[in-house]
Amino acid sequence: MPSSDRLTYPIHQRTLGNGLRVVVSPDHSVPLAAVNLWYDVGSRDERPGEYGWAHLFEHLMFSGSAHVATGEHLNTLQALGGAVNATTWFDRTNYFETLPVGALELALWMEADRLATLPDHLTETSMETQREVVKEEKRQRYDNVPYGDAMVNVVELLFGVDHPYGHTTIGSMADIDAATVERAATFFRNHYRPDNAVLTLVGDITPKEGFKRAEKAFGHLPSWNRRVRPAAEPLPPLTEVVSRQISGRVPAAATYFAWRLPVRDTAAFDACDLALAVLGGGQTSRLHQELVRNRQVATGAGASALGLIGGTSFGIAQVRALPGQDAAEATAAALAEIDRLAAGGPTDAELARAKAQHAREWLTELARFDSRADLIGTYATLHGDPERINRRLEEVDGLTTERVAEACRDFLRSDQRAQLDYRQEA
Amino acid sequence: MRRSDRRPEVKTPPRWRFPDPTRLWLDNGMQLMACHREGQHVAAVSLVFDAPLNAEPVDVEGVATITQRCLDEGTATHPGPSFAEALEDIGALLSGSAGYSGSELTLEVPADRLDEGLALLAEVVREPELRPDDVARHRTLRLAEIDQLLANSAHRASVAFRAATIPGRYRAARMVGGTAQSVAAITHADVVSFHERHYRPDGATLIISGDLSGREFGRAAAVFGDWTNPPEGYFTHEVPQQRSPRCWLIDRPGAVQADVRLGSFGIDRGDPRWADLQVATHALGGAFLSRLNRVLREEKGFTYGAHLVNTPMRDGGLISVQGSFRTEVVAEAASLARDILDLTGKPITTVEVADAVSFTNGVAPLRYSTAQGVTDRIAALVRDGVNVEFVNANFQALTLVTPDSATQSILELLPLDGLSLVVVGDAAALQGPLQAEGWPVVLHD
Repeated sequence: MPSSDRLTYPIHQRTLGNGLRVVVSPDHSVPLAAVNLWYDVGSRDERPGEYGWAHLFEHLMFSGSAHVATGEHLNTLQALGGAVNATTWFDRTNYFETLPVGALELALWMEADRLATLPDHLTETSMETQREVVKEEKRQRYDNVPYGDAMVNVVELLFGVDHPYGHTTIGSMADIDAATVERAATFFRNHYRPDNAVLTLVGDITPKEGFKRAEKAFGHLPSWNRRVRPAAEPLPPLTEVVSRQISGRVPAAATYFAWRLPVRDTAAFDACDLALAVLGGGQTSRLHQELVRNRQVATGAGASALGLIGGTSFGIAQVRALPGQDAAEATAAALAEIDRLAAGGPTDAELARAKAQHAREWLTELARFDSRADLIGTYATLHGDPERINRRLEEVDGLTTERVAEACRDFLRSDQRAQLDYRQEA
Repeated sequence: MRRSDRRPEVKTPPRWRFPDPTRLWLDNGMQLMACHREGQHVAAVSLVFDAPLNAEPVDVEGVATITQRCLDEGTATHPGPSFAEALEDIGALLSGSAGYSGSELTLEVPADRLDEGLALLAEVVREPELRPDDVARHRTLRLAEIDQLLANSAHRASVAFRAATIPGRYRAARMVGGTAQSVAAITHADVVSFHERHYRPDGATLIISGDLSGREFGRAAAVFGDWTNPPEGYFTHEVPQQRSPRCWLIDRPGAVQADVRLGSFGIDRGDPRWADLQVATHALGGAFLSRLNRVLREEKGFTYGAHLVNTPMRDGGLISVQGSFRTEVVAEAASLARDILDLTGKPITTVEVADAVSFTNGVAPLRYSTAQGVTDRIAALVRDGVNVEFVNANFQALTLVTPDSATQSILELLPLDGLSLVVVGDAAALQGPLQAEGWPVVLHD
């Protein structure tokens, strides 16, 4: 690993006349180019009655535009050797393809075509099909899987249903059913625009080529007044424990703990992230050692932080009981570990390990063109500073044991938690 | 405000080749391979043991898995949790799997800590503590894991499909990690014995990729070179055959969806039809607008995705349509899938062949752009007894595939009267409709 001050992925930025931000990061090691478009729209932008629309819209983006037939975007680029997909999250919707560099211009042309013309080509048929596909996705990934609804419940408990983060990207079946062509077109026009997007190109191109191609494909698209997001109000930590019990057909009882955390990639958030790694980040973590290895009251335990930009992030810890047993003992043991960490913070050795693991994970993310492009898009969109990908290791490495201990006291106390319990149905 | 309506031309990608690893054999029979990948700061290491699961004693199947899971619970040099701490201190991640044709340990480690990582890897295979309490704990955890896996509809369908297509006398017919009964029978002595016999340098391959210094072989020789082989442990790999078709319905009361597997026993990479089948698989169920996904997802909206999945083993393989469908449409979806697999009068087209070849060759540079991608690929081939040269030879073989040869591979390997069907879902709601569609399903536990 290069020491943290040696990360030097090149970052070249330019903003087109219509507001589209373009970032080019050349890497000539493989004859490929990664195209990544971050649209600054996620499930947090859905209003009541629209839950699930950002994600439904992601599906509709593949249903054809002025010069591209239904499914053709994906199919054509795949047939050229492209790895193509899109995802929706709380804070964004991203579209990406990594392909042989000779197909880059076509990929940009297709991306621009759907950005320019998609709402005029939405049809009732494509809406109907994608509504059904999304409902199947919900059944497959959430409803038909043990604990599949954990995240839905956790964010409801932590944020409340009316908060922008109080629902997950999959949304509600009723809202998805209520989406019409007209309302989807409006949603599109509000959010899909050059000035609300970041285009990242990583790969076997020069900055000059990258900007020229971006200008050629997107430069002619109109822009209008850039949407200004109201500043998000941070939520303070919970002041009392909120909890919910679910009885269901699960293979073992389980408990999820969750906390409100500071905005992503602030020192306070990073400190919480490291603290949760110490609590449940791997084989040496306190939860694993105590619950799984020493006391043998759980089959698995873990913890992680999930960074969000809209005022408040969250962290989760989970434990799964032995089959046929209730989770009381595992839950009590986990709470004892949570209290111990909140009271005393991590040891120097634990923190060093958490940082070493974080560094490897970060370098692994940067290793591939596609995930590197996505990180650049993340930092350009959410933080206005893609150069930060080169500085993140230093930022995290600089956090002291005292700083992390302080974060544990401020944000990760057991009396600040939400708790979700799964019980096995008789 | 002018935009170009003209679709840009695509330039043909340059010819790309999988890297040729440098190799060295240690005197104890262990093979070393290394691939330098510029700029890859995280090195990927894999250590593959030629230890097939059919070498497990039949009454303690799963012992390979338990052994592998106990390895990092402590070594002679780093007892107990101090081993995991030593690994995590250098930012390393060690994982492992006991696959049907071999056990494997993988290590991801920042390239500048690779030396220390290799030393810890050597410790874990050469001098693991394998304490009785670790064995007991991992046995308990594995039993719980079996419950969890079987509670997962998709996993249960895949397990059942294996049993439906491979006769029970072969190890490959059953779960990698053993059944509840066989795992419960595993003792500390079984684990120690499995380790002694099968974790050995002859037949083992160490693969290292990353931004390398050139000193890696010397470092590997220093920590593995004086490892000696045990006197016994001869075994052969099983060669599974095909089971006559089955049509099983597995009950999951109240499930909102059913997982479907429809297919047959298949072929391995050594079969001359391999490239033909790869192309046909992509056209029928690999591409986004493959025949299956186009109809079942994009036209019907029956599923989040329907795929034809081709899983090679060391000998033979499995080919199946895979999808998850809402209960009301399962019977229709299964019949549509069967109709799509019937290529009589609907052969694979020239365009489909060209797209599949272009896709497979085009994604290769991305897939193998990282140290991890290269190491994983080589390890998978080594485990299945295939030469690394296969990757480039297969690129060549793909260019020789014709619409006829691709079509023929499906007609031969997925004959309509040879298909097995597995459906995992709400049996009360599914049995009638499936039988009405002509599927002779029987309830299977």
